[in-house]
Amino acid sequence: MDWISIANAVINGVVIGMLLALPALAITLVFGIARFPNAATGDYMTLGAYTTIASQMFLGGSIVVAVLGAMTMTAAISLLMYFWVFRALAERSHVSRLIASIGVAFAVRSTITFFAGQDQYVVDLPLVRAWNFGGIRILPTDLYIVGAALIALLLVFCVMYLTPTGRRMRAIADSPELAAASGIRARRVMIFLWAVAGAFCGLGGALLGIKAVVLPELGWELLMPMFAGVILGGIGSPVGAVLGIVTFSIAQEVASLFVGPAYKVVLAFLILLCVLLLRPQGMFGRPIAAR
Amino acid sequence: MEGYLIAISISVLIYLLMASGLALQYGFTGLVNFGHVGFFAIGSYTSALLALKGVPIPVSLAAATALAALAAYPLGMISLRLGGDYLAIVTLGFSEAVRMTLQTEEWLTRGMHGLPGIPRLFAGWVDPRMIDFCIFLLLLAVCAVVFLLIHHIIRSPFGRVIEAIRDNEVAVRALGKNPAQFKTRSLMIGAGIAGLAGGLQAHYLTFISPEQYVPLITFYIWIALVLGGVGSLRGVVIGTVLLVGFLEGSRFLRDVFTGVSEVQLASVRIWIIGMALICVVLYRPQGLFGKSSRRSN
Repeated sequence: MDWISIANAVINGVVIGMLLALPALAITLVFGIARFPNAATGDYMTLGAYTTIASQMFLGGSIVVAVLGAMTMTAAISLLMYFWVFRALAERSHVSRLIASIGVAFAVRSTITFFAGQDQYVVDLPLVRAWNFGGIRILPTDLYIVGAALIALLLVFCVMYLTPTGRRMRAIADSPELAAASGIRARRVMIFLWAVAGAFCGLGGALLGIKAVVLPELGWELLMPMFAGVILGGIGSPVGAVLGIVTFSIAQEVASLFVGPAYKVVLAFLILLCVLLLRPQGMFGRPIAAR
Repeated sequence: MEGYLIAISISVLIYLLMASGLALQYGFTGLVNFGHVGFFAIGSYTSALLALKGVPIPVSLAAATALAALAAYPLGMISLRLGGDYLAIVTLGFSEAVRMTLQTEEWLTRGMHGLPGIPRLFAGWVDPRMIDFCIFLLLLAVCAVVFLLIHHIIRSPFGRVIEAIRDNEVAVRALGKNPAQFKTRSLMIGAGIAGLAGGLQAHYLTFISPEQYVPLITFYIWIALVLGGVGSLRGVVIGTVLLVGFLEGSRFLRDVFTGVSEVQLASVRIWIIGMALICVVLYRPQGLFGKSSRRSN
């Protein structure tokens, strides 16, 4: 394997990692604050990708409008599911929320396939030529994807570490009881959390739709790699989620040069097992008490 | 008509066998196994491949059970010593990894083409017209044995420990028991039962392919379990009958809604499964027929 294809795989891994960092951040925030691994994350991404396609088809217009529309749509569905399902289950066991999130995943995906069928779609974009630096290829589209992901991540990190809402969010993630005792109302934080989680999944899905083809299984098949990346970074840690998923995506792209793309899921699974075996708290997580 | 009834009953019994494995894991131990279909697939392919090589079916079924149970061992050992929902993520990943491997390793499994010509149970032993009925009787017997076994397990000291783990893990640890070990054993028994169900299904259908082992199957079993009420064997039977009744009944929807395509019908079916999962968890956490006094979570 020559170094140029490895370099290209690394670049591709960075791009995929950056766009998956958005839903990965949603997973880790929901895990830290609403306290369950949200299995519907992948299908919210699928919803984002399909909303982008639908808005281009029926409204025409620019890709920016379509992506913003996708973010609004997924944020709305995510909030709806919070108000209907996850708010009512907040006082119950985390297992009940986990099972319900599987139900949400199936309901969202089957609604999409009901209207769009099983066919594949592509986002309508003008074709651009990749820049070629002696064999290392960079697509301008990829730069836009990374740029959009970076801006969104920066915005949320600013909100989380510089504003009162962010401080409340981190307080609830640290200890819900202590936060409640200090007079922090969980309600507004939860609304903010689910809106951001939904919008980020929508943006991630739309960007993925731009990079690849849009299929009903698009998000669901990424659930496993995303969880592996999040756990690698340390579940519950926002910085860990971003660095974990980027590291993981680079590793996955490079490794699939050697074992073939069909083994991506298997690789994700093996990496997950190794992390849980050797360092279950991940790169940035808090140590987990071994049971 | 008689043939149809037998086919449905066989379908109920195979789902019931899988569901009883999950009932032991989730209902009685509190383990969230989202990869049940992975163990089922391992059972199917193990038994089918061995039988195709000429191994007698009883031996191949035993191997299927053993291999599925063994596959659960590392998953349990790694994820069950940690708290939280790691098992759910790990088992989901496991079942997808198994399916991808079955799809890719064509030299062994013929990939997407599937394995045809798997020896049928009782082939050459009884009148061909009676084979389905004999398979039905065999499955009935296997289910009865497995139910007795699970009943026996829950009444045993081991069963009391796993139920105690489900209800209060800290207390169990305080008594000097290692919960991870007990949970792993429960996971392995349940996986073995799923493997046996898979093997039996392979020798009933005589053709298997990786698409039969999608995660949706796992959640069919989950809906059967939560519908019937978690933590009771009677609930498992009721839930499974409801599930197969729904899956079979939804075929007849085709005659009612003529303007709907096949893909749309499949979407509606999955939508109903998803909504049922949400609604049961939200509004009937004790299951449709469970007593509301005992909250399982």
